[in-house]
This record gives sequence, structure tokens and C-alpha cells, in this order.
Amino acid sequence: MGDSQYSFSLTTFSPSGKLVQIEHALMAVGSGQTSLGIKAANGVVIATEKKLPSILVDEASIQKIQLMTPNIGVVYSGMGPDSRVLVRKSRKQAQQYYRLYKETIPVTQLVRETATVMQEFTQSGGVRPFGVSLLIAGFDDSGPQLYQVDPSGSYFSWKASAMGKNVSNAKTFLEKRYTEDMELDDAVHTALLTLKEGFEGQISSKNIEIGLIGTDRKFRVLSPAEIDDYLAEVE
Amino acid sequence: MEKARVDLPPKGGFSFDLCRRNEMLTKKGLQLPGFRKTGTTIVGLIFEDGVILGADTRATEGPIVADKNCEKIHYMAPNIYCCGAGTAADTEAVTDMVSSQLQLHRYATRRESRVITALTLLKSHLFSYQGHVSAALVLGGVDITGPHLHTVYPHGSTDTLPFATMGSGSLAAMAVFESKYKEGLTREDGIQLVGEAICSGIFNDLGSGSNVDVCVITKGKTDYLRNHQLPNPRTYISSRGYSFDRGHTEVLSTKITPLKLKAEVVENDAMEE
Repeated sequence: MGDSQYSFSLTTFSPSGKLVQIEHALMAVGSGQTSLGIKAANGVVIATEKKLPSILVDEASIQKIQLMTPNIGVVYSGMGPDSRVLVRKSRKQAQQYYRLYKETIPVTQLVRETATVMQEFTQSGGVRPFGVSLLIAGFDDSGPQLYQVDPSGSYFSWKASAMGKNVSNAKTFLEKRYTEDMELDDAVHTALLTLKEGFEGQISSKNIEIGLIGTDRKFRVLSPAEIDDYLAEVE
Repeated sequence: MEKARVDLPPKGGFSFDLCRRNEMLTKKGLQLPGFRKTGTTIVGLIFEDGVILGADTRATEGPIVADKNCEKIHYMAPNIYCCGAGTAADTEAVTDMVSSQLQLHRYATRRESRVITALTLLKSHLFSYQGHVSAALVLGGVDITGPHLHTVYPHGSTDTLPFATMGSGSLAAMAVFESKYKEGLTREDGIQLVGEAICSGIFNDLGSGSNVDVCVITKGKTDYLRNHQLPNPRTYISSRGYSFDRGHTEVLSTKITPLKLKAEVVENDAMEE
């Protein structure tokens, strides 16, 4: 393939007009654990598989879903360490925004700043693109919002989206199940069912993570007990 | 190979570039603009369940009261609050900055902030500015290691105390504390004592006045009692109101100057296409 000659340097276009490194970054995302998000009428829910490399790993020490501000949460698919760097930068930017304007950062602004960081790493020397796609869920004055940010730095607002290994099945499932006037609880059930679709093995509160935000505008990660309750309702 | 573009923070610290010019100007007789200070009474004490902070609400600009009801108890973290005396802008800016840093630290560590963390961030910032950031603070809070109360001085030194006062009214307030403080006060007694100390500052110090703000911090709960006491209400308000009809004031002379017509407004027809 002629493209392969151009796949080593990030800052060089291939003849077909692609930046092959970004394509490769998307492959890294595509082989990561499945995560998804659903925007309901009164909130947003994001969820992810939490498959640990071994049963010896202390699962309580790992939290994939993180807070960026009290009303914005994020989940990723792809390389965990890359997502940590992005989350750290975004948290700092949210604080800087607050210091400057004395207003909590709107979701769109934070998404844009995060996407800008990701884009910078596709146009600088000596760095590589981030190997993660992020799903950012937030609730501000414009209501509940769900955004996906890709390694290229492009971002989209979604009503429901999935990323990672099982993306095509999950998206088909979501397309069928999604309704505009879904309530947050229904969205959680749908998220669980979607995760179950492509899950290898038995789904339980120990190998998935769910985060949600409602009209109270406080993002929180559900405890294993709460996840068990929802799972029982779904069975 | 180009360097990766990294976000460099602006080189920090006070810029001393204009100091020589300012000195030259003051020698020539220029009055430097004054700044609004919080001539203040701020106090804190440790009681049986936690920490109580108190402050007056007067902000002064020299001899003038700039704000009769300002807020001197600043939020640092859900379990840590800080009273500020000195230059109002400095106390606001430094507490906001440290509060922001504590929030980032909470996200990174996933733990409640500790008072000693806030203390260290404050003192290292103030020390690096060598006393030019005129902020004298009473920092108090309750964390996993228990209740803590500290005072921070503008040059960056700190004290750890069971009861503390700062500001121009600190002597008046400390007199009250020294005579009435004891360990293991109850919540009501503690609030009462803090109120007394602040009132002592309000009534005996010219730089302090107006109302009493109190903040009670205990394990898991913080009560910010804004304007807990209002010992200086506006006393005389005339029931008849303050509107005066014509005839109340004697007119000595009258001079009427008509304004000259500068421009003539011509009625325009509707614009033609």
C-alpha cells in the first residue's frame, strides 16, 4: 500500500490525504474495552467494561470513569494512561476557566479545550496522538449533553454512542433502542443491555462501571451495590 | 527537530520593573493611589466538635468605609474556610488561587483536602512574594486528622493555635478570648464567644464594624452563618419619608440659559430604492 510509506511520521500527509498515524490511533481505540453513553431527557449515563488483566488486580483501586468538574464526567476507550493525561489537563483548564470568569465551565467549552489539546498532539513534532476516544457527559444550563472526542481532535455531540471493541453491534443496538424522551433510569437499563450484548463472560457489578448525572447536576459513579440493583431490574 | 509545543505558564513572581519609576515619582511629590484594606477583626477557635471562624464585615479605604457588608470568610474547600485581613484584593486572590489548587488536588487524590495542605500552599505563595502580598489569614477546618486552626502572616510564617485573632481589631478580640476561652467549648458557647470577640473588635476598633459573620466547621458539615449578628442597624429612619415639596428651599436667584440649537432635523422621505 502506498500509504505505508507515509505511516511513520505524524506530520506528513499520505497521498490519499490521510494522516495515517491518526488512523492507527483510531485502531488503538477500536481494540480497547467497550464504552458507551446515552443522553436521556433528564440526564446522561456513561458506562464501560472494566475487564482486569488478572483476578489478582485490586479492582477497587481502578476507576475508569472520572470527574472533570462536579457536573462533567468522562469515560474512555483505548489507552488508559493517555486518558489520565487528558483528564488532568482538562481539570486544570476547567479551574482556569472558573478563575477567569467565576462561572463553572460549560460542557461545550471543556469539550472544545480537550479536543484542542488532542489536535495539538497531531500537529507537533516529536509527539504521538492520544490513543483514546473520550465520551464526555455533562449537565449545565443548556441541559444534558454527551460528546465524543476522537484522537484527531474532532468532537461530536451524540444522543447515544459507543466506542471500543464492540462498537458496531453496540451502535446498532442503541439505534434500535434509543428514544428521544427516555428517562435517566431507562437509559441506565438500555446501557446495561447494550453492554451485555457483546460481553464476554458474565456481567456483574465487579466488571462494569457506570456514571450518571441528572437534574441535580452532580456527576457520580455508581457503587457496586447500586449497579447490582440496576442489573437485577434488567434481568 | 522542532520542540514539542508545551504549555508554559507565564514566568511567575512579582515584576519589579516599575519600582524605580514609582520611587522617582513619589520623590517628585506624586501620591500613590491607596488600596482598599480590610481593617478587620477576624478570629477562630477550636471547640469540642471542630472549628468556629468569625469575622466583621467592614472594608475600609483609608478613613472611608468602602463596603459595609463585605464577606471576609472565604471558601477554600467544603471542610476548610479562611478569614482574610489586609488588602482585600490580596486575600481574595490568594484564597481563590489556593482553593482552585485544592480542588485539582482533590480530583487527583480522590480524598478530602487537609488543612495542612491549604496552609502549606498559602505560606509558600506568600513567602515567595516576600510580604508584598498583604494577606493575613486565619485558616481553619476539619479533616481526617481532626480540627485545625492556623494563622498565616503576610511574610509567610504560620502559627498553630487553639484560638487566634488577626487584623486591626485583633487586640480587642484577643482580650475577650484570653479571658473567656476554655477547651472543650460547646457549639453554642463557642459561637457566643466568637460573636463577643468580633463585637469587641467592631465597637472598639475603628477599622472594624457592621455585622458579625460566623462559620462553624465540624466533621462532615459546615454552617456558614452570614450576618449571624447585626449589632449596627440603621437606627433613625423618618416615618414621614424624605421627599421635599417645592417651597422648602429658599430660592435666592434664578438664571435661565436656553440651549443653542446646533442641528436642524430635516424630515426625511422614505428611502427610495
